[in-house]
Amino acid sequence: MREAFSNALVRLALADSKVLLLTGDHGYSLFDAFRKSCPDQYINAGIAEQNMVGMAAGLARVGFRPFVYGLAAFIPIRTVEQIKLDIAHDDLPVVLLGDGAGFVYSHLGTSHQSTEDIACTRAIPQLQVLSPADRFEMTAAMDYAYATNGPVYLRMGKADLGDVHPGPISYLQQGRLLKVCDGQADWPGLIATGSMVRAALDIATSLDLMIWSAPFLKPLNEDDVRAAAQATNGLVTLEEHSVLGGLGAAVTEITSEHQPTRVLRIGLPDRFSEHCGTYAYLLRENGLDTDTVRNRVETFCQLLATNSIALA
Amino acid sequence: MTTFAPARMRRTVLEMAYAGSTVHIACAFSIIELLTVLYRHHLRYPNNDPRADGRDYLVLSKGHGVMAQYACMHELGWLKDSHIQSYFKDGTDLKGLSDSRVPGLEVTSGSLGHGFSVGVGIALGLKRKGTDQKVYAIVGDGELNEGPIWEGALVAAHHRLENLMLIVDKNGFQAMGTTDDVLALGDLPAKFSSFGFETLEVDGHDEAAIDAAIRQLWAAGPTKPKALIARTVKGKGVSFMESVNLWHYTRLDPQSFAAAVSELGFPGALK
Repeated sequence: MREAFSNALVRLALADSKVLLLTGDHGYSLFDAFRKSCPDQYINAGIAEQNMVGMAAGLARVGFRPFVYGLAAFIPIRTVEQIKLDIAHDDLPVVLLGDGAGFVYSHLGTSHQSTEDIACTRAIPQLQVLSPADRFEMTAAMDYAYATNGPVYLRMGKADLGDVHPGPISYLQQGRLLKVCDGQADWPGLIATGSMVRAALDIATSLDLMIWSAPFLKPLNEDDVRAAAQATNGLVTLEEHSVLGGLGAAVTEITSEHQPTRVLRIGLPDRFSEHCGTYAYLLRENGLDTDTVRNRVETFCQLLATNSIALA
Repeated sequence: MTTFAPARMRRTVLEMAYAGSTVHIACAFSIIELLTVLYRHHLRYPNNDPRADGRDYLVLSKGHGVMAQYACMHELGWLKDSHIQSYFKDGTDLKGLSDSRVPGLEVTSGSLGHGFSVGVGIALGLKRKGTDQKVYAIVGDGELNEGPIWEGALVAAHHRLENLMLIVDKNGFQAMGTTDDVLALGDLPAKFSSFGFETLEVDGHDEAAIDAAIRQLWAAGPTKPKALIARTVKGKGVSFMESVNLWHYTRLDPQSFAAAVSELGFPGALK
């Protein structure tokens, strides 16, 4: 997935000399290919993220196409105000790349973890929020971010979990869900984003669920969410992010108004991670490992089966 | 007619502030001469178009002083008398802080420490394009409390942005008191020189001295960004506002408006 990201960035930069990569002194080996292919389009802006985002706005104002890279804990979180005021307010074509979102930096603690970035960025007008799930979505998301010519936050989470799609995606349609697994209509449908799409598919080996990937957190296509709710019995959302303000919120905002159904939101409870450990350990600690998720989905199914009001 | 006459521009600011019952008069008055010199002698707007591709950029990072820039835009004919008279009326475009959606204003500021970074990016972009366009970024001395200013200063020097001039409106006040009392800035010329800027200090109300300093800065240090530290008086031009920080917040009433106007001794600014 990181290779797909690097390849896409190099390809876009070679095709358009106005594409610039700005990094806040992060991405050591990730940008080897970029620095080799497009050395003049690479700017290490130093450990100074706020200025870097403001500077990207200035570069965009005079015709450049900045891609601004940092850890998601910093881009966007440290720079939310610069993104709001300097970039999104003026609809400038800046792509913000937040790497290591979720619990990727599991051993490093809250400083480097990012489980509130979707909530913070979704509320910023004119900013689109993307969260690719595998290398194919990543390539398509980078192409989309460049082509859309406006402000985009592209969230990059755990990147080595494997594919969720059988092959390349020709292009992303704004806001649309991508179906990744068919299942039974009397089971809940599962909508996941980013790293959690792979986890959803792992659960589907034992539960017969329809599963969609949500490469967009914003906008999120209303018709697709309604259709998913209509095609299934209740919905489950799954994300490596707080249950507040992320995918679960985006889905329930739509269903509550347009297609009322029971929705189980699975994500990080409203808390910081507590202990040190591997990525798998952090998922377990926060209830996002496949066993816990499977159990919660099964319990949700039983609830739906015994609660006829929920099915109304 | 002499354009950008400081007294007339102060009168325009008063007319706006009175019409809209607004604050931030004093921090507009401190930059009137700086803007006068910039607009009259330095800023280039091809075809008098505020959005012309080849223009120089005036970035008002201290967005609170925006009425002074409106006054300049009125002198240029970019704003009409009706804009001045309808300031702060419901549904109008001119806000109490700089908003880049208004042609003539380059950044959205007021939240401090933003505009300078955007200006650094504009200067870096123009330098990459190889144009001779220049970027002026006006920051308040209170605004120098903000961290991104110093991040931007490092970056400007590192990238040798010789097309960038930082102008500090050193009026000695910020919202709650003097800069010395709130958060002392120390020796600003020495600070910016040490960051790698070509630096001059000037009386920010002496038009000839400002003009000479700007020319001297552009002529010197071809690989360095420039910093002009302008010693100014908050509320300059109206005696009862000068260095009285209350005029950061005070609205004009009929008596204070009349008194201020009569002190300026300038006939109506509006046509």
